Amino acid sequence: MHMADALLSPTAAAVMYAASGLTAGASVHTLRKEEDDTKMLPVMAVSAALVFAGQMINYTIPGTGSSGHLCGGMLLSAILGPQAGFLSMIVILAIQCLFFADGGLLALGANVWNMAFYGCFVGYYLIWRPIMRSGRFTPRTRIVLASMLGCILTLQLGAFSVVLETTLSGITELPLGAFAALMQPIHLAIGAVEGLITSAVLLFLCQARPELLRDLDAREGSGRFSLKTTVAVLAVLALVVGGGLSLAASSNPDGLEWALFGNRESGYSENMALDEDDFGVTSAAADKAAAIQETTSFLPDYAFAGSDSAAGTSVSGIVGSAMVAGAAVLICAAGGFFRRKKRAGN
Amino acid sequence: MDKVSHALLEFREMDELAVMDSPIHRLHPLAKLLTAVLYIALVVSVPKYALSRLMIFVLYPAVLFTLSGIRPGLCFYKLRIVLPLVCAVGLFNPLLDKAPLFYLGRTAVSGGTVSMLTLMLKGVLALTVSFLLVATTSMDALCAALRKLHVPSFMVTLLLLTYRYISLLMEQVSVMSEAYALRAPGQKGIHISAWGSFLGQLFLRSMDRAGELYASMQLRGFRGEFPHAAVTPWQGRDTLFVLGAAGALILFRCVDMAVALGGLFT
Amino acid sequence: MIELKNISFSYESGREVLRDVSFTLADGECVGLIGANGAGKSTLMRIMLGLLTPSRGEALIDGVKVEKKSLPEIRRRLGFVLQDSDNQMFMPTVWEDLLFAPLNYGLSREAAERRAMDALETLGITELKDRYNHKISGGEKRMAAIAVVLAMEPSAILMDEPTTALDPLNRRTVIRAVNALPQTRLIAAHDLDMILDCCSRVILLSGGHIAADGPAEVILRDKALLEANRMELPFSLAGRS
Repeated sequence: MHMADALLSPTAAAVMYAASGLTAGASVHTLRKEEDDTKMLPVMAVSAALVFAGQMINYTIPGTGSSGHLCGGMLLSAILGPQAGFLSMIVILAIQCLFFADGGLLALGANVWNMAFYGCFVGYYLIWRPIMRSGRFTPRTRIVLASMLGCILTLQLGAFSVVLETTLSGITELPLGAFAALMQPIHLAIGAVEGLITSAVLLFLCQARPELLRDLDAREGSGRFSLKTTVAVLAVLALVVGGGLSLAASSNPDGLEWALFGNRESGYSENMALDEDDFGVTSAAADKAAAIQETTSFLPDYAFAGSDSAAGTSVSGIVGSAMVAGAAVLICAAGGFFRRKKRAGN
Repeated sequence: MDKVSHALLEFREMDELAVMDSPIHRLHPLAKLLTAVLYIALVVSVPKYALSRLMIFVLYPAVLFTLSGIRPGLCFYKLRIVLPLVCAVGLFNPLLDKAPLFYLGRTAVSGGTVSMLTLMLKGVLALTVSFLLVATTSMDALCAALRKLHVPSFMVTLLLLTYRYISLLMEQVSVMSEAYALRAPGQKGIHISAWGSFLGQLFLRSMDRAGELYASMQLRGFRGEFPHAAVTPWQGRDTLFVLGAAGALILFRCVDMAVALGGLFT
Repeated sequence: MIELKNISFSYESGREVLRDVSFTLADGECVGLIGANGAGKSTLMRIMLGLLTPSRGEALIDGVKVEKKSLPEIRRRLGFVLQDSDNQMFMPTVWEDLLFAPLNYGLSREAAERRAMDALETLGITELKDRYNHKISGGEKRMAAIAVVLAMEPSAILMDEPTTALDPLNRRTVIRAVNALPQTRLIAAHDLDMILDCCSRVILLSGGHIAADGPAEVILRDKALLEANRMELPFSLAGRS
């Protein structure tokens, strides 16, 4: 789910950086107020390093021949708490971005939001804590339930965020509904497997050193979010998201099929194929979609583009591009030549 | 299980690159960070059909590679992670956007094809400059730059500590994976019966280590903040670099140099 | 000078680990602390460092009682070389680790750097200065850890298994370095040959209390005493008892 820089417009990237940055700042503030905040540092660092390494382990799924992997958001927040878990995930994602090119530098804010915010905050406050404090079932059942639901929900939210961010950046021609229809089911499976892995590890820790897990022996009903509140919030969320998706999909009656084989004359420039003039779809939804169109068509295109319209490429452009490419290759070759000379000289 | 050993090698490789010496390595980390961010922001802001306008941006990383002495090939190996998703997204464009944008002789080139190529090129360019940033700047220098940008010292300390222990934990995972594989020769990964104990044991050991680490830090006077690393002060060459690079990049973004160049010959 | 007076320690579970331990280390003395696994060696050292609080008794470092309010002072005077050097070297580079304690004590950058350089030169490991901690070998890390402690300019140094997992050459280097130090030294170890090489006096801990306290040459030749405590004669003395 790591996004590359190319999948975001600068505005979207900036917005996500702001959101993640504010959350990080608030988390640092919360942690520093705690008595043993300095003690948290080595615990967070070692946990982050371990989860980073642990993400590379292949967990073989029996009967399928494929393997699952761990992301770690829910796991870290169940052990460290949401704020410390969030900050640890930021460090993990930053190191992945910097050293392994897994996710872009500009997209780091978005990746933090998509993979760490949901896992650590939504997953903890809405799922883990209410379930662990609900007083129902045995502790082991609670752990499995919280892990499974938490991982599935947070990965769904993360995947949908990727869809939303990419679409609003005007990167893809895929309509929002179609893109989501591709991303969500895949991440449902991934989320389920992550839930299983997380449960397994937490069950082991519960047995070996139960004091490591948060809220394990908390009393029923303590805390602002009870199980009932969680169910209510989730139900509302499902309605909003489901309704929004169907709205986006229904403006385009035949969905992906139409998008793939459809109307040649219309021409898809930067629009999301929701052009009411061409297809006679007049509805509140189409108006809304047209508004989105306008936003997306000017977002990536700053005030720089004085001369060009959307089409910036032409035959001259190709010739010029080829020359630039050639120049770049020559420059790199020159660099290689000097490197070899230097080595010979040493 | 090879994945961890490969990752370890890759990690160490980046370290080796960062301690080399070159005019780029000697630049202030903040100067490099700011120009890298500016470059990526300008590149991703290029409109999706403006492929030729994007081409000129190739020159910047080409020059940096040459001046820094780093082999471009090392960077392209890293593309394998991020490009698949970019391609997966971009691949839909030619299918959905079929209107011809221009003609090459008698062949129509659709808008979707151009936007796909633009997307892929953006992906490559952004990654290349990120790579060059990390390959020419050590971790402590990078953290010093972050401190200058007022990133909370708690976060920077966390980043430094994590960086220190990542290779250690990767080694532990590697060793444990090897030991597992030697006792389960038929299996490719960790069997479901061991999912919990494999990572769980490592977690327990890590918690013990964290406790030892905290004691060790306390014994040496730790009170919450790491003492700041000394960074070479900002020099004239850093100002020159930032202004020159920023000026050139903004020019590239505003003027379609490739079209201008091509126009001389067509 | 290090004084321990009637130190007793039990875990919360009630298990008694140390019972009435008393001894005094004079300035400059090098003493070996030996005993079976679980005898209480590490616990004793942690009490001296203020990481654990004894249930009874007290420890004094240079006359200063080890208690919560004196901990910063105690920890300046007492250096500790950990068994696992990875837990000691937690900064990215050796140099930053050397500077860590002096800078935390409020020294200026120049003064701290001078101390760090002195420590490296004392041990003859100046080539390790700018190396990354996650890249140096076990032996190098151990030597760097000792240098880190020296940069604190302590009056006494505690060492927990300083030669474990070192190859013979590295081990010899550590022994030579330990022997050249002027500070009071207390070394907990299973490597009895090293203890014989470095220490003039040995304290044997058994079941949480002191079973023997005397010259190294005497205690380390007492085969019956050693074997009763799950140990053997040092290799250099075996066959000569």
